[in-house]
Amino acid sequence: MHPATEKLIHELKDLAIEAVACDYAQRGYHYEIEIEGKQIRSLAECLLKHEMYLVFVGGLHVKPACRVIYQFASFERPCRIVIRAVVDEECQIPTISDIFDGADWHERETRDFYGIVFSDHPYLKPLILAEEDVDLKPLLKKEADLKEMGEVSWAPASAAAPESEAPKPEAKKEKTEQG
Amino acid sequence: MESAAVNNVAPIALEPAPQSNHYFLNMGPQHPSTHGVLRVLLEMDGEYVVEAQPVLGYGHRMQEKMGEHKNWMAFMPNTGRMDYAAALPYNHGFVALFERLCGIEVPERAEYIRVITSELNRIVSHHLWLGAFLLDLGAFTPILYTFDDREQVLDILEDVTGSRLTYCYFRVGGVCKDIDDKFVERTRAFIKRQRERFKVYNDLVTGNIIFLKRVEGIGHISPEMARRYGATGPVVRGSGIPYDIRKAEPYSIYDRFDFEIPTGSTGDSLDRYLVRLEEMEQSLRIIEQALDQLPDGPFLGKVPKKLKLPTGDACFSVEAARGALTYYLVSGGGEIPYRLKIRVPSYSNLSLLPELARGMLIADLVAAMGSLDLVIPEIDR
Repeated sequence: MHPATEKLIHELKDLAIEAVACDYAQRGYHYEIEIEGKQIRSLAECLLKHEMYLVFVGGLHVKPACRVIYQFASFERPCRIVIRAVVDEECQIPTISDIFDGADWHERETRDFYGIVFSDHPYLKPLILAEEDVDLKPLLKKEADLKEMGEVSWAPASAAAPESEAPKPEAKKEKTEQG
Repeated sequence: MESAAVNNVAPIALEPAPQSNHYFLNMGPQHPSTHGVLRVLLEMDGEYVVEAQPVLGYGHRMQEKMGEHKNWMAFMPNTGRMDYAAALPYNHGFVALFERLCGIEVPERAEYIRVITSELNRIVSHHLWLGAFLLDLGAFTPILYTFDDREQVLDILEDVTGSRLTYCYFRVGGVCKDIDDKFVERTRAFIKRQRERFKVYNDLVTGNIIFLKRVEGIGHISPEMARRYGATGPVVRGSGIPYDIRKAEPYSIYDRFDFEIPTGSTGDSLDRYLVRLEEMEQSLRIIEQALDQLPDGPFLGKVPKKLKLPTGDACFSVEAARGALTYYLVSGGGEIPYRLKIRVPSYSNLSLLPELARGMLIADLVAAMGSLDLVIPEIDR
């Protein structure tokens, strides 16, 4: 492991965030992190300090609550991190657009497609979709197609993720479905 | 209406600039230098840009939704219709993602064909950019030269892929048609010809004082700014960061070739121009080595007709002509992805425009935007 990556993983441990190493050949990324939405800001600040760049922000509609997927990578070393953050009951998550400027558009796009609200975002208006399509949320699944998080995870990884799955029984709220 | 769209932005002090003198200007959606239907809303103080806000979505097709409803073969044509100028890297990332998820081996020969055609496509894309960029700057002649060269490659690619622009050539497990001796011969002839044409480009453009005055010191992007916005490709390399997926996370067989990552020093529009020119030469080097090493064998491996995906997620990144392209797929089993996220390089590269444009002359904004090499259907997806 690259020493800079090692230092990053160590510092994440201090924030009570565990990065699970993955098989790059199988998945194409090196670490996965499962967190609660409110932890994303401290995580992003740590990643900025360690000179990572934001690859993308996207959504994932699963039961019981939507995930926001962040991917970070490094210009200097092979280190690609996938983060899955759970949104809260109001389908909200703190913005990181003031930490990574590039997140601004990605968050607006995710708001367009999923209706996930990035709280404290300075200008959360439709970006890709038209202004009048603000409630369209085209990437939300129909109830029949909606899957549990466990049904779309790698089997061994979800079995070996003890602390990430435990503290979220409160996020049970059903979301409104759109076609 | 316009003032409502920009009211989130803190006013920028430009002296002497009483706020009341500001006016709004729409650059696009049909402005020639936005290359596609991109609209940039400009708040102007005389000739100076106070605030620039790109307005996206004119060419939006919801590719990610289509990805959730089609199996890989049905989605293949879509991959060629995002970055239409360099479709083969998009093909490449997509099929390689499925190969990674399903653990499918690709024959050696197919990997070489993929690399050769992808690099040819990169050169074609840079030809298009070079001609159009200089056209934006008011130089009409260079596009005639670059399109002449572009035609040579398009003819070669048309013979094997069947199309001239929106390629759909790669398949999971290989490519759909083998290359022959004629292809190799024509490609070698093109390499020789293109090397001579670089001299023409340099005589015509690089040393031209009018060109230099338009691009030198214009649109400065610092490495720190590139990192904050997640800029990749020639934009980040122009700022001096040698980041190229082909070297950083070598995929396919790129680790077998000897090539360099050209970088700039100051991060201005001229650096991005020089980086792309040098990249064309590096692509020629890769093609040359690949043609020398080209093995015999099958060009398409054995792949089941119905490709059943395992449960889980995976991503695949490739170096497209404009930067790092990442497909991220979440699968719930079955043939069709549960979620397909497509991270396109131009999206992040354009998102730095508001910061870049602040305080610029409008003519310089055209030069800076041209040097970003934007393809709008890729941004809108």
